[in-house]
Amino acid sequence: MKKILSMLLVVVMLLGLGAAAFAAEDGKITIWTWDPKFNIAAMNIAADMYHVDHPDVEIEVQEVLSDDIEQNVATAATAGDLSTLPDIMLCQDNSFQKMVTNYPEVYTDLTDLYDFEGFGPAKQAYSIIDGRHYGIPFDAGTVVGAYRTDYLEQAGYTIDDLKDITWDRLIEIGKDVKEKTGYPMFSGQAGSVDAIMIMLQSCGASMFNEDGSVNLKDNEPLKEVVADYMAMVEAGVFVEVNSWDEYIGTLSNGSVVGTFNGCWILATILSLDDQAGKWDITNMPKLANAEGATNYSNNGGSSWAITQGTDVDLAVDFMQMYRNVEFYNAILPTTSAIATFSPAKEGEAYSAPSEFFNGTPIFATILEFGEQVPSNITGAYYYDARNAVSTAVTNAMNGGDIDAELATAEDTVNFAMGF
Amino acid sequence: MSGAFRKNMKWALIYLFLIIASLISVFPLYWAFVSAFNNTQQILGGSMIPHGDLLTNIHNLMDQAAVLTAFKNSTVNTLLVLVLSLTVCSIAGYGFEIYHDKWKDRVMGILMLSMMVPFVAILVPMFQMFSGMGLMNKAMGFVLPSISTPFLIMLFRSNARAFPKEIIEAARIDGLNEVQIFVRMFIPTMRPTYAAAATITFMNTWNAYLWPRVIMKSNEAITMPMLVSNLMGGYVIDYGVVMAGVTICTLPTVIIFFFLQKSFTEAIAGSVK
Repeated sequence: MKKILSMLLVVVMLLGLGAAAFAAEDGKITIWTWDPKFNIAAMNIAADMYHVDHPDVEIEVQEVLSDDIEQNVATAATAGDLSTLPDIMLCQDNSFQKMVTNYPEVYTDLTDLYDFEGFGPAKQAYSIIDGRHYGIPFDAGTVVGAYRTDYLEQAGYTIDDLKDITWDRLIEIGKDVKEKTGYPMFSGQAGSVDAIMIMLQSCGASMFNEDGSVNLKDNEPLKEVVADYMAMVEAGVFVEVNSWDEYIGTLSNGSVVGTFNGCWILATILSLDDQAGKWDITNMPKLANAEGATNYSNNGGSSWAITQGTDVDLAVDFMQMYRNVEFYNAILPTTSAIATFSPAKEGEAYSAPSEFFNGTPIFATILEFGEQVPSNITGAYYYDARNAVSTAVTNAMNGGDIDAELATAEDTVNFAMGF
Repeated sequence: MSGAFRKNMKWALIYLFLIIASLISVFPLYWAFVSAFNNTQQILGGSMIPHGDLLTNIHNLMDQAAVLTAFKNSTVNTLLVLVLSLTVCSIAGYGFEIYHDKWKDRVMGILMLSMMVPFVAILVPMFQMFSGMGLMNKAMGFVLPSISTPFLIMLFRSNARAFPKEIIEAARIDGLNEVQIFVRMFIPTMRPTYAAAATITFMNTWNAYLWPRVIMKSNEAITMPMLVSNLMGGYVIDYGVVMAGVTICTLPTVIIFFFLQKSFTEAIAGSVK
């Protein structure tokens, strides 16, 4: 259904129905975002803090899911009626380039309006299009390796044995731990390629070249990633499950030793009261051969966009809150939303040790990890490439030749791009 | 003896098959209801028996989402659509069958053709129209597109075919005008058809998602299906809360169906009392 919709949208767009009406100037800031315990809670705190000096500004935070935000932007832009859009909206980092490229008339160029000093460079890269800034970075998707220390101990390891290691070493440890405890190291949703994307970005590689062309067929780091991933699955160190819910289930019922994922996964782990004190975090393993390999990567996270219209100045002024260390300290305890604004790590909330994670100050640690994440290129066709790689990996796991599969994947993405 | 035994065996097999089929169809509903009583860990652990977390789940749900607003909006929207669409479509179906015009079958054909057009195809122009008319976030914006549906008109028309013409003629002789015939003769006779139409309309409207998502933007205009889908949108999903939401969202449909199922099956089979 999404395909039909997007095709129709393109047709209508080509018919040139794009005479735009902008969001009305009404001295009121309307915000679209999702998740009442996370983004919405953060925005409500920002609104409360802003109201201290600006009591007259009305701020309304509306709950709209991320897919629906994208669909509503598409509908409004194609219909040429931007008056239905809010002043500020949240956008998934992986979708940012696609949205701005497809609907440039919707998003405000913030390059000269906002100070981006202090935000992690990899985070900023998601919302920079042709050298211009379109997004104000919000939550980090910095990858952490989270492990059950009780399981590791049973097998004679500590969390430090998993710090700064390579995937080869991880597989060795994983086999040993599995032999001694019976638990696999990691779990993940089959076909979702989250793990592969995380591993790929950890060496600064992407599925696209600088010029936007597809880079799958002769992408050596990608081949190494796929080989490592398949080795993990074959060794039983990484167990593939069928759905996201099952993946969460493996963590909550303690049937895996750990996971590596965006730091937002910690909120789920923190909700497992009976496992308090049994977890700790460190960085993720790195690729052994790829150039520029690091132990740091990113998965998920989102940034704020400001729509073109007449309330832009007001919206930009309000968004100065996201350069305010006090704000990040205020949202951390209630939302666990980890900033990408480096000065925030000086705040008290960030340096506090976490009882749940064996006393590690997880938030400051993650902010430090975040500064070392290599940036990657997402582009407008990120999800097409992701799906193509997913198919390639699935076929390779069923005995296909990975070189041939990646060549097919590259053709598929080129086709989607119209080449 | 062996003939009776074979016959019994046949029925036993048929019943066995039907029992298994009903268990399979009821199972998801059962799991959703039971899960509303459980916490996330019990649900992810695959627990099939209820535990004592219903009140906690409902409390958290109320905390996290505007359930009362959503329930009220869904109820108001659905009732409006029910009343308006049943009125409009039954008059249309009656008219198509009882009165004669050489164009009526072509008009009906065009109506039927419009059923072939997928909703997403008309989404953008509809959005443009409704936003232009200032109907965003308004109950009317939700209701208008659902008032006249080709399916309901067809249902009423085909059931009106079985409505005895003698009744109409006798009523005319007795001095009833056309409106009175419709109201006093047609409506009471067609009660099962109305019940079936009401069931279908209720389910479609209560569960409507795409169109409300597009035009209902403000928090005050949220509907139950939107609320349930919002519960799945976060980084941390509390499955107990989601299932409590699903249960509250499903109950009205279940209740309506239980009350009207007899008329529903009758009308779909096309009988008139």
